[in-house]
Amino acid sequence: MHKNRLFSVLVPLISVLLAFLVGCIIMAALKANPITALKALWKGAFGSTRNLGTTLARSTPLIFTSLCACFAYRCGVFNLGGEGQFLMGSIACCYVATQSGITGLPGILLCLLAGGIAGGFWAAIPGLLKIYRGQNEMIISIMLNYVATLFMGVVYTNWLREGSVPQTMAVPNETKLTRLFGLRCTSAFVIAVVIGLLIYYFLFNTSMGFQLRAVGLNMTASEFNGFAVKRFILFSFIISGVIAGIGGSAELLGTQFRLINGFGAGYGFDGVAMALIAQLHPLAAILVAIFFAALRVGSTTMQAATGVPTSVSEIIQALVIVFTVAGLALVKLPEFKAFLERLFPARKEA
Amino acid sequence: MKKVFALVLSLVMVLALAAPAFAADKTYKVAMICDSSISDGGWGAACYNAMIDAAAANGWETAYSDSIDQSAYYDTIVSYCDLGYDLIYAPGNQYTDAVLQAAEEYPEIAFALLNGGASTPEKAVNKNVTSLLPNATEIGWIAGALAGLMTETGTIAFIGGMELDTTKGKYAGYKEAAAYVGEKAGKTVKTLDIVYSNSFSASDKGIEFAKAMIDQGADVFFGDASAVDSGARQAIDAANQAVGAIKIYDIAQPADILGQNECIICSQVTDNSSLVGLSMQAVMNGTFGGEVIYGTLENGVLSAGKISDLVPAEIQEQYKAYLEEMIAGTFMQ
Amino acid sequence: MDMNFVTNLILASVRMATPLIFVSLAELYSQRAGLTNIGLEGLATIGSLVGFMVSLLTDSPILGVLAGMMAGIIVNMVFAYATISLCAEQIVYGMAINIFAPALAAFIYRVYFGSGSSLVQVRLMNTLASTMGITPSNFFARLLLDQTFMVYFAYALVIFTAIYFNKTKSGLNFKAVGEHPKAAATLGINVIRTKYIASIICGALAGMGGAYLTTCYTTTYVDGNIAGRGFIALAAVIFGRWSAGGVLLACLFFGFCDALQIRLQVASFGLPYQFFQMIPYVATVVVLALIGMKKAGPKSCGKPYRKEER
Repeated sequence: MHKNRLFSVLVPLISVLLAFLVGCIIMAALKANPITALKALWKGAFGSTRNLGTTLARSTPLIFTSLCACFAYRCGVFNLGGEGQFLMGSIACCYVATQSGITGLPGILLCLLAGGIAGGFWAAIPGLLKIYRGQNEMIISIMLNYVATLFMGVVYTNWLREGSVPQTMAVPNETKLTRLFGLRCTSAFVIAVVIGLLIYYFLFNTSMGFQLRAVGLNMTASEFNGFAVKRFILFSFIISGVIAGIGGSAELLGTQFRLINGFGAGYGFDGVAMALIAQLHPLAAILVAIFFAALRVGSTTMQAATGVPTSVSEIIQALVIVFTVAGLALVKLPEFKAFLERLFPARKEA
Repeated sequence: MKKVFALVLSLVMVLALAAPAFAADKTYKVAMICDSSISDGGWGAACYNAMIDAAAANGWETAYSDSIDQSAYYDTIVSYCDLGYDLIYAPGNQYTDAVLQAAEEYPEIAFALLNGGASTPEKAVNKNVTSLLPNATEIGWIAGALAGLMTETGTIAFIGGMELDTTKGKYAGYKEAAAYVGEKAGKTVKTLDIVYSNSFSASDKGIEFAKAMIDQGADVFFGDASAVDSGARQAIDAANQAVGAIKIYDIAQPADILGQNECIICSQVTDNSSLVGLSMQAVMNGTFGGEVIYGTLENGVLSAGKISDLVPAEIQEQYKAYLEEMIAGTFMQ
Repeated sequence: MDMNFVTNLILASVRMATPLIFVSLAELYSQRAGLTNIGLEGLATIGSLVGFMVSLLTDSPILGVLAGMMAGIIVNMVFAYATISLCAEQIVYGMAINIFAPALAAFIYRVYFGSGSSLVQVRLMNTLASTMGITPSNFFARLLLDQTFMVYFAYALVIFTAIYFNKTKSGLNFKAVGEHPKAAATLGINVIRTKYIASIICGALAGMGGAYLTTCYTTTYVDGNIAGRGFIALAAVIFGRWSAGGVLLACLFFGFCDALQIRLQVASFGLPYQFFQMIPYVATVVVLALIGMKKAGPKSCGKPYRKEER
């Protein structure tokens, strides 16, 4: 058990180091000084309070989608539909914010509620097909992502379009989330962190959370023990969708204000990857999301300062995922465990 | 020690702001954001070259981010603002909201919006946004007059990228000029309804749109959609090759790219670099803000590029006469 | 609705179905060996870029296709090693490939072509008709002759695949690996080797599908040119119920939807075009909801195979 815990920290760390090593080699090959480039990256992400605010703002939607992935996977089901749920949430939120006429705090609460419900509803589809038809929830949730993206296209090119550019009307000023200390980061970040804490509490400090994790660890045994496995699966799917839906609403009210082309694109898959790197720990997921956001924010500074293209940062991000997922699979292999025991026989006796 | 240093630094900054003369040897920096690629052989390339030319003429440093999503406009602009760029150059009406939002938060930075609305500068609370506004109707005229003269089927087409006011303006000018010129030459010229690719990078959509429009009889094309235009030209070239003669033509914009594809008969040219250059000078002189800089045929920003040999000499003469009328303001009067 | 509209619609459907056929067959081989690979989008992207660059450098579209194929294989070997040998979660790894390969492609393009602003165009593969020096005039001649070698190859592959999986011993063994790997192993089939072979075929075909776009379809390369075709291909395999013929029909149907959608936009049709673009995805969900688990594809899909559990 102890060894597993050690690996769960070690593997992501080694993966990050390896990814950066490859990144540095690429930078050197481009005749840029990797140290200068990484310094620029750091400065762009955390160099000033303003940049820090931008990084936290960029991390907010990622926190939501990674928490969404965490929650479902804790119950043993893969929700790859975070993006679709995020978008459906933002669409519902956009309707409420621009059409209901309710503004201010009640408006915000109503928007978040509507977003959560829409996200939960969208997640219920793969959940129901999983428990009643035994279908692969991953494939279905991926397909629903595309349906949601195209549906959002209908909304911003037709139904809620305003003006000449294909985009919806903006959320009223009174319904926008307030910024923290005048930075770009809004109260959406606080909401995200609070949800992370609530999930942590639920999973590790309530009996229902314990049961849910038990289902995730061993579905057959849980069924044998009389847990309502199907109900847990559907429940975890819906809650996971609610989290993503609230995330979509918060992104709309806090950052984008309008639905436009590219809204939320890629956040769903990013979230799954971050959840895995965080080993499905909700609080670790928050940190991982901030780490990825920093890489994204800092890369623009890096490009401007050293001429290293932003795609190098994207390659580093992708490599972190590639290495971590492979690494985690590796340490679970029986061959690897046997290899370790041969390597450190003393530790086993101790 | 640190405090003293900070004090000195801020003193220097105040002085630099108060007395522009002190900052004479400062290197100014301009950054461009663009949703199409700068190597699209069309809109993106022309706008990028405009910035490069203007920067070279005025001694500025440049940077750019291209092929960015609509949702990333604001983020990208703000990153350049944070990096201390003096001028943000956004070539397109679609950036208006992102630019206005950033302009409100960064009053000390200048924003130049190519194809921005005529009323956009007034909307900026800090008066730090300038619209560079080539006259869309005249752009449409330049292409439309030639299209009207050249069409044999009497059907011409236009492919738009996004449903922007400027794109609609170009389409309207194209349509009316072609109809007018055609009527003078004794033929009816019909312009197919405008189609939008809703993307500036989907060249495959350009191919399919052009094929579908050729099926409907269109034989002159004009467009406002970056890489989508290059896809359309590819389809036009293929259709011409299939019949073994160049019967379907394309008019390019906003740079002169005659010869890139064999179907191109002329380019509508917009000298964006002089517009960008004007805003750079305004930044250096401290006079930037809150205005609309127009680009017209009259002041030389708009023109027609080289005309291909595919256009018979007699039509070239007629076309040049129409261009003269446009400059003189007597076209369609 | 005149005849011309219909014939051109059919021609466009065939044109748009071809890349889907390659990528869907890639997925079919992979899933038949029990590997659900959703990294098709990434594989096709890298195939598309490498195909573009090689055909630009050598002025030979065929070499471009071969190079795209190799690029697809190389990237898919990462997936194969992680999922077959390390038993990593397949869908997650496919997703990682989808993030990694496009980033790599964007980077290579940016570095290789620099920040030059001139449009780079390649010569496309000749059609059979133009090689023979004829200009087909009627519909059937255009449908049958005015196509590139790759199109004929795609249909030949479909026929080959159908025969292989249904009539040959090797094909039945291949399918056994996807259905019951342990049983297959007891029959003396090398499960691991079969899975690696499937991954090589998958990478090759997906890379080829991507390369088709830049060597036979558009003369330029732009980031994001695969535009979701990888996921439509995944949908086509499910919609085609894991058979070569079904996959072909699914691809033609999805190609038809795409071609129709473009034409309806040109004709200023009232209904938002996005609804037509949704058809492949909605159709897949409906099919999965209707057929039930027992018939939903090779049974070991998504499950890691460990030798010692035998």
